[in-house]
Amino acid sequence: MQMVSGRTSKRGSMTTTQTDAADKAAELLSKIAENRSRAAFSELFRLFAPKLQSYATRQFGNEQTAMDLVQETMTNVWHKAHLFKPDRGSPSTWIFTIARNIRFDLLRKNKKRKDDISADELWPILSEQNDSLDDGYALDHDVLMQEISFYYAKLPDAQRVVIEKIYIEGKSQQEVSDALGVPLGTIKSRTRLALKKLKELIVDDD
Amino acid sequence: MMIKSHPGESLLYQYASGDLSAAMTLVVGTHVDMCKTCRQTVCEIEQKLCEENLDALVGVASTTMSKSQCDQMLEAIFASSACNKQAHQPNEILSLEGRRFTLPRTLAHNSHRIGEWSKLVGKLWRAPLTLDNGNQTNLIYMAPGAKVPEHTHKGQEATLVIDGVFNDEQSEYRDGDFILLDPSRTHTPETQDEDCLTLATLDAPLHFTSGISRLLNPFSQLFFR
Repeated sequence: MQMVSGRTSKRGSMTTTQTDAADKAAELLSKIAENRSRAAFSELFRLFAPKLQSYATRQFGNEQTAMDLVQETMTNVWHKAHLFKPDRGSPSTWIFTIARNIRFDLLRKNKKRKDDISADELWPILSEQNDSLDDGYALDHDVLMQEISFYYAKLPDAQRVVIEKIYIEGKSQQEVSDALGVPLGTIKSRTRLALKKLKELIVDDD
Repeated sequence: MMIKSHPGESLLYQYASGDLSAAMTLVVGTHVDMCKTCRQTVCEIEQKLCEENLDALVGVASTTMSKSQCDQMLEAIFASSACNKQAHQPNEILSLEGRRFTLPRTLAHNSHRIGEWSKLVGKLWRAPLTLDNGNQTNLIYMAPGAKVPEHTHKGQEATLVIDGVFNDEQSEYRDGDFILLDPSRTHTPETQDEDCLTLATLDAPLHFTSGISRLLNPFSQLFFR
C-alpha cells in the first residue's frame, strides 16, 4: 500500500510533453466520439494498450487476465468516448479510472454472484445520466477576477491565450476553438490545466 | 454548510485505487459526492495514480503485444456492441415516514439495492443494502428523539450522515459528515429535535455494553446486520 505524501494540491504541474500528449489524446477521443473514427481509435489504442498491459500485469501477475483488462478497458473507451469531459481531467486519468473499475470487477470475478454490485455502480463515471456534480476545479469567480491579472502572465503561451480570450475577451470555448483553429477538446483541456496552474500559483503565493 | 468530518487521505487513496470493499467504497463514494473538498482530493489522487501506473510506463509485461494481437483485439472491439448494462434507473428520491430525502449520486445509482424498511428498537428504522455476499450495509433512519443503546463495535464502523443531525458523546454530525469508529470506542448515537438519515457499514455485529441493552447482544445481528 503506497501512501500519498505531502499536500495533494502541490502535485505536479505538467511538462510541455505531457500537455502535448494530453492534447493529442483528447483530440483522438473527440474524433472517436463525433465520427466513430476507427483510425483515431487505433492510434489511441497504440498509445494506451501497452501502458494498460503493463499496469494490469503488475496488478494481476497473470498475462491472460492482464489482456482481459486491456480489452475491456479499451472496449469501454470505444463505446463511451462521448462521456469524456476534457474540462474534468486528462484523457489518461479518465482511461485509468475505467481500468481501475475493470480491475475491481476482475478481482471479484471468481466469487461474484449474479446480483453482486459492480464497479460501474460504485463509481458511475460511465453513466449516461447527466449527474449534477458541480465542478471541483471551478475557482471562486471573484477571487479569479481579482487575482488572474497578476498571475496569468506566468502561464505557458498556449494556455495564456485561451485564458485571455475566455476571461478577458469573454469568448466561449467554442468561439476560441474556431478563432484559433484548435479542436474544442484541446481548448477545454488547456482551460482546465491553466486554471489548475493558476490555482497553484495563487496558493503558493499565499 | 461546512462538512467537518472527512475520511482520512489514506482512505481516499484506497478508494481511488479501488482497494476498499464494495461497502466501504459506497460509503466513501457517497461522502465524496457530498463533499467538494474530498472530490478535488480524489481527482488529484486519481491523477497521481495515473501518472504512477500508466504514464510512467515500466515494462513488466514479459511479452508486449504483437502486431497481430493488437489487430485481433481491435477487431474484437470494433465488432463488440455497446452493451448498456444500466438496467436500473437511478432514483434519487427516498420516501420514509412522511419525509422525502434526496439521495446523493452514488447512492441514487444503487437505489434498487435498498431493501424493505423495518422498525427497530426505539425510534429507529433500518433498510439493508444488498451489495455482495457478507456485506453489512444499512440505511438507518433515526426519528427525532431516537437513541441507539450504548455499544462498541467488534469491527470498524463507517457512518455517513445523508440528511439531518445526530450526536454522540463526542460531537454532533450533520449532512455529509463521515465518521469512522474502531472497536475501542463506545458510543451512544442519538437525535434531539431533528431526525437523521445515515448510511452505515460495519464489518462485525454491534456489541451493546450497558444495562438491559446487553440482552440485545444475542440478537444484535437481527437489528443491525
